Amino acid sequence: MKSAVVRVLVIGAFVAAPFVQTNGYWLHVLCVALIGVILALGLQLLVGMAGLLSLGQAAFYGIGAYVSAVLTLRFGTPFLIAFVLAGIAAALSSLLLVPIVRLQGSSLAVATLGFNIIIYLVLLNEDWATGGSFGLMNVPAPRIFGYVFASDRSMYFLCLLVAVIVYLAMERLVNSRFGRALKAISQDEDAARACGISIDLYKSKCFLVAAFAAGIAGSLYAHQARYLNPNDFTFNKSIEILIMVVVGGLGSLPGAVIGALIVVVMPEYLRSSGELRLILFGVLVVALVGFRRGGIAGLAPVLGQRLAQTRWSRWPKISARGGPQ
Amino acid sequence: MTALLRTEQLTCRFGGLVAVGDVSLSVQTGDVHGLIGPNGAGKTTFLNLVSGHIRQTSGAIFFNGDDLGTMPPERRAGAGIRRTFQNLRLFREMTAIENVMVGLHANTQSEIFHSLMRTKKQMLEERNIAEQARESLAFVGLAGSADVVAGSLPYGHQRLLEIARAFVAKPRLILLDEPAAGLNGAEAGRLVGLIHRIKAAGVTIMLVEHHMEVVMRACDRITVLNYGKKLTDGSPADIRDHSGVIEAYLGTKRGASRRGADRHDTQTSTPMEARHAAP
Repeated sequence: MKSAVVRVLVIGAFVAAPFVQTNGYWLHVLCVALIGVILALGLQLLVGMAGLLSLGQAAFYGIGAYVSAVLTLRFGTPFLIAFVLAGIAAALSSLLLVPIVRLQGSSLAVATLGFNIIIYLVLLNEDWATGGSFGLMNVPAPRIFGYVFASDRSMYFLCLLVAVIVYLAMERLVNSRFGRALKAISQDEDAARACGISIDLYKSKCFLVAAFAAGIAGSLYAHQARYLNPNDFTFNKSIEILIMVVVGGLGSLPGAVIGALIVVVMPEYLRSSGELRLILFGVLVVALVGFRRGGIAGLAPVLGQRLAQTRWSRWPKISARGGPQ
Repeated sequence: MTALLRTEQLTCRFGGLVAVGDVSLSVQTGDVHGLIGPNGAGKTTFLNLVSGHIRQTSGAIFFNGDDLGTMPPERRAGAGIRRTFQNLRLFREMTAIENVMVGLHANTQSEIFHSLMRTKKQMLEERNIAEQARESLAFVGLAGSADVVAGSLPYGHQRLLEIARAFVAKPRLILLDEPAAGLNGAEAGRLVGLIHRIKAAGVTIMLVEHHMEVVMRACDRITVLNYGKKLTDGSPADIRDHSGVIEAYLGTKRGASRRGADRHDTQTSTPMEARHAAP
């Protein structure tokens, strides 16, 4: 009941945002933030649930963006179809990672990083398809059943809609047989196998789902920015997505949302600090992560506990747990 | 009587060490079969071989008449072999009931698509496994702890939770690896009762245990391992009186035991085990 109220309030705030902040530039930033939310939710499934440290999410993001842009630009494919195909293309490309899913920890991170670099080089060098370092220009605005999402505000609502759907989808997955299997794998592989879970299969499926999310985020980005350049999809972007997840709190879906908002909006907010802004942002990230392992999402219960403890210690005599020490 | 589990010359070497050597035994359907022996006798390795967590060097394992070959543990779990671990292997950050629900993984089908769409079948399956998990928790006596995070349960309850996770799937065979380790006398007594109830539910049990009182009260048959070899097997009464068993646990007076001849003796039994072993 309480969570339903929170949900309505949060959705209400997101819906109200573009009416409160009507500046086109800020609407653009908020769109990028919502796309970041989708990316972070995908990575949360990998890192937070299955314990798979991927530094290659930007590769799937890039694949989705380019597939969607090329389909609409060159072949005049309708946006909705290009959008879905972008997700499918990214998901299929994640199958290339199947041979390496059994790698652990930092090895897996480095392998996915390598994958990211390869995809970046492909985007950069296959000019015939991707436009190379010139990038792809004039990507059309999304058009669904004749309605063109040309204005910043309509684009914002499209991104919001997709982000909400992805959030609800992830929530269903986390609380399902699939999600439990992922959590089990991350906590004890031997015990998970003894329960009948095929480790490699489930890790591969997890990559597939996260890649699909990154792919559709890429599609949104392509049609929102209207211009693509390979430099948007370097491993820097992958690390940015990882920062979102860690700052927000590993294993928490609301955390992924908050983390994405902070990572995208904060540097823009600090823009008035000029050259200092990235340093300030870095300090903030370190502070947020160092504050507590659970990130921002982990803070709420701690604060609650603190409050409860204060009350106990104020009236120790009334404690029902008296008796001999 | 038919053998549910049979091993033939089962051998597992780690480098030069023969952890399990030429062990042939059979576990009868419906029995509680004990596997005992001093530390390092190869009991846990034997369980790992049966559950598939370790591959044998040579020899064969037959389950219900079928050669398990190189079948991976997740498929053996599906075939009806479940286990617990010596050093608690719970999913510590999940709740007790979630742990038990994971135990039903091999018995359920819902895929990503079904969960996303919340199909009728998936909803029904979720409700079913939650109910089965609750029953299993109640069966081991943890009905009140369903929503407690596994890692924060008291030690004895964590042991029980592992058994609930293995039992929930109603397997043919449960391998219990030292379920009494760290339990106090009263808890160990209750464990014996639980083992009898699991048996009554039609599940065959293979029990590795150091706690001799538990072994003697719970088991129908016992196999004794020593240095990876089968020393003997028989009923609890036979084992109690077997001179070789006492020797394996306590050693002989002069130290000129059989095992001393061809091996360097690095593992002597602890006083604790000796106390349990002494009839």
